[in-house]
Amino acid sequence: MRESDPSDKELNSENNDLQTENPGSQDVSFAYQQTFDAKQADDGPCSLPSHLSEKELDNNGSSTCDNGVNIESADAQREATGLTTFEFPVPEEGPQTYVKKVKSELEGASDGNQTEYNSDGIEEPDPGDTNANAEHRECSPRVANAQFNSQDKSDPKGNEILEQRDTVVNRSLTAFSSTCNIEPVESSIIRVQSAVENGNMEGHRPYADSEGKIASLSAVDGVAASSNGRESFEEIEVVDSGLVKNGGLLKRDLFLEKQHQSEDDSSESWRKHKKHFFILSHAGKPIYSRYGDEHKLAGFAATLQAIMSFVENGGDRINYVRSGDHQVVFLVKGPVYLVSISSTNEPLRVLRRQLDLLHGQLLLILTRSLEKCFVKNANFDLRPLLGGTENVFSSLIHSFSWNFASFLSSYTCLPLSHTARQAAGAALQDIADKNLLFALLLSDSKVISLVGAQKASLHPDDIFLLSNFVSSSESFRNTESFSPICLPKYNSMTFLYAYIRYLDPDICLILITKNSDAFFHLKDCRARIEGFLMETHVLRDISNSVARGGLRVEELPGGDVSYTSAPRSRRMGDTKDSTITVKLKAGVGGTAGLWHFIYRCVYLDQYVASEFSSPLETPQAKKRLFRAYQSLYASIHGAPTGAHQMQYRRDGNFVLLAWSTSDFEFLAAFDPLAEKSSSITVCNRVCQWVRDMENDLFFIGGSPFNW
Amino acid sequence: MGCSTSSPAKSNGSFDERGASDSKTMRIKLVLLGDSGVGKSCIVLRFVRGQFDPSSKVTVGASFLSQTIALQDSTTVKFEIWDTAGQERYASLAPLYYRGAGAAVVVYDITSPESFQKAQYWVKELQKFGSPDIVMALVGNKSDLHASRKVTVEEAQEYADSNGMFFIETSAKTADNINQLFEEIGKRLPRPATTQKS
Ligand SMILES: Nc1nc2c(ncn2[C@@H]2O[C@H](COP(=O)(O)OP(=O)(O)OP(=O)(O)O)[C@@H](O)[C@H]2O)c(=O)[nH]1
Ligand SMILES: [Mg+2]
Repeated sequence: MRESDPSDKELNSENNDLQTENPGSQDVSFAYQQTFDAKQADDGPCSLPSHLSEKELDNNGSSTCDNGVNIESADAQREATGLTTFEFPVPEEGPQTYVKKVKSELEGASDGNQTEYNSDGIEEPDPGDTNANAEHRECSPRVANAQFNSQDKSDPKGNEILEQRDTVVNRSLTAFSSTCNIEPVESSIIRVQSAVENGNMEGHRPYADSEGKIASLSAVDGVAASSNGRESFEEIEVVDSGLVKNGGLLKRDLFLEKQHQSEDDSSESWRKHKKHFFILSHAGKPIYSRYGDEHKLAGFAATLQAIMSFVENGGDRINYVRSGDHQVVFLVKGPVYLVSISSTNEPLRVLRRQLDLLHGQLLLILTRSLEKCFVKNANFDLRPLLGGTENVFSSLIHSFSWNFASFLSSYTCLPLSHTARQAAGAALQDIADKNLLFALLLSDSKVISLVGAQKASLHPDDIFLLSNFVSSSESFRNTESFSPICLPKYNSMTFLYAYIRYLDPDICLILITKNSDAFFHLKDCRARIEGFLMETHVLRDISNSVARGGLRVEELPGGDVSYTSAPRSRRMGDTKDSTITVKLKAGVGGTAGLWHFIYRCVYLDQYVASEFSSPLETPQAKKRLFRAYQSLYASIHGAPTGAHQMQYRRDGNFVLLAWSTSDFEFLAAFDPLAEKSSSITVCNRVCQWVRDMENDLFFIGGSPFNW
Repeated sequence: MGCSTSSPAKSNGSFDERGASDSKTMRIKLVLLGDSGVGKSCIVLRFVRGQFDPSSKVTVGASFLSQTIALQDSTTVKFEIWDTAGQERYASLAPLYYRGAGAAVVVYDITSPESFQKAQYWVKELQKFGSPDIVMALVGNKSDLHASRKVTVEEAQEYADSNGMFFIETSAKTADNINQLFEEIGKRLPRPATTQKS
């Protein structure tokens, strides 16, 4: 994107980016990174347990700035490492068996266990990890100068194979990049998990255990290193303007509409989107594309497929390609391929998780039995089975830039007095019987209360995907409905049936059963629940809470720190007033102006976040903060549980503070002028306050994991 | 309570507001089938709420609505309506909704021959698997769009006749023939005194 052109700014679309939406932020971002790194070095011993520091440094690489190949590689390496533990469990058996293993792994890839969503990063660091990182660090300079680095020069045969493969991969990538018009592939880093290399590395790395044998195949041109600084903040440019068609397409404002339907990969506008998502079959048939018409993108999907299956045929798996400031992330789920192409600079693990959620959404609609279609007919066209679901996917993708649940893997509750929440829970509990698997009372994606049958547990990601499915399907709003759904974390193979009814425009009751005949029973249950909630005025309490909105930092009880005095009741209209207040605070007394926070309670798998209030009210500011949280969270999340750590980042936009303990995780944004010591004081105070208010802010009494 | 089932007779307590003691009241399960976008939901919403929402959203699973009407002969009919989703992935669920149905409304869009094909598919399925005495209606919707008509009245009428259904063209948009559709179904229902109770 031409940074100086404000007309490129757009609400509600990915066209804005942290880096580019804000002229000048480029420099800030570099500075930001450096400050942070310096901090890391300064605070090294206290903020990072020493055995972790290497991993942590890698994490830095995964954050917003990448002015060198090193960082990218290290980042990629770490990511690959995390993945390896899951995807390549038995590499010592050599390439052949190994391919089979991978395949069977593919088959059983998504049967709803948690390892999958958690696979990249929560594992204890093992010697293999460290080794891999060390090795990579060592060879990074080489990476920057040579075309290929197959890591292990002492095995010519392996290298040969790899180089052959790389050449082909590179060729397809060149074709691919000219299709999607990202920078030439010679200047990209390709990261492939390689079976051959794993085998090779075996003998040379005596300390590497089975988890540590990642493959790192890097194709880097010297040009990349030098051009990187220049290119990394540019948007996709159309090289051949002769290709441009469909110039004057209709843009619909609503994200809920399938956007940019008339585009295809030759449209300039299509190429300019900051973040593309694709789902395709292993035979290369398009299944879903965020932008443009899947039909017209058939050629593009085929190119993606060619790249992925070529690498796969070698028994390897392509994870991601980095080209300039574009990241192409691949995820294989059995016969379904998911790809994102983005220039949003989000950490790789975040992008992978987004693909994972996208796949979860697909399963929620069709279950994993969709894979059977491909067994019978590899060329099966899945799109007809997804008719009318564009909104579900586009709303999910939209939530990747506003809903914290998308990266926290936790749910949040509607703030409600403890007694009201208990009453709501009692109403749900009252109807529990053998027909009922789960009962949820939701306000949009916020949980009011939920119950589950004995031993049945509801995963936060299932709540997230279900609430997205329900809230993005308009037809549920007016009438009572009964719809088959699949909760992928609960059981990705079977359909359940959801009775769905809005009790008022903001309150949705979802009753889930295994029994396809239970509709009338559940309808009766709903009538009882509704009656009870009316009589006890809980429904009114809930509506009031919805109307009041979430927590506002201005309303937190104050102390001697300057960010607020007494709780003020504020309405939506007050923004002007509060902007002034905040500015005053920032300029005058402002030492610790807290702007926003997220508190995640680890054992409840729930989080609470304050509303975005001034000066974070513009969509750009919200998205900027969201993305900053995302990468901060990704970077603290590599740590083993139990480690305490605190991180402090500062840039021109805000000061970010992350604090991770075994009980909770806390993220906060402060005025950029805030002082570190007072911010920490405020954090302590807010955390204490959240714990004091725990009964109103969280749903206690039934963590979804331990009924 | 109990584990089952969709027996309409015990579904929802409050149906007898209209049930004056001298009039006969019938409760009938009615299912709408047809391709996505032909206007099933619009027909139902027009019938039940008297509204038409041109931005009507694709149905997910199935929606349940009910409406009670009085017929000329002072019979009261309570329709318990399953408005099913026309999307392909829900086709296999249709038996869930037409099982035990006393009436089926098979809808197509008069501007879409494909939807007329799809309607014939549903008619066949109902003949095979529906209740034997089910009252079937073939409905050509969007009659207001006669300028772009692709399915003639004659061919639809002929198809309906040869399959023992009654045929009507409606417009959910203008409300044309909507009430007539349901009244006609009510008239054709087997009377409870002479046949089964629920
Ligand atoms: N002109 C005209 N348009 C109609 C009429 N009935 C429905 N429509 C339009 O047709 C579209 C689809 O209507 P729906 O009622 O949602 O279709 P449906 O059969 O319920 O579709 P599914 O729920 O997907 O099975 C809507 O945009 C309506 O505005 C009609 O009588 N005349
Ligand atoms: Mg409908």
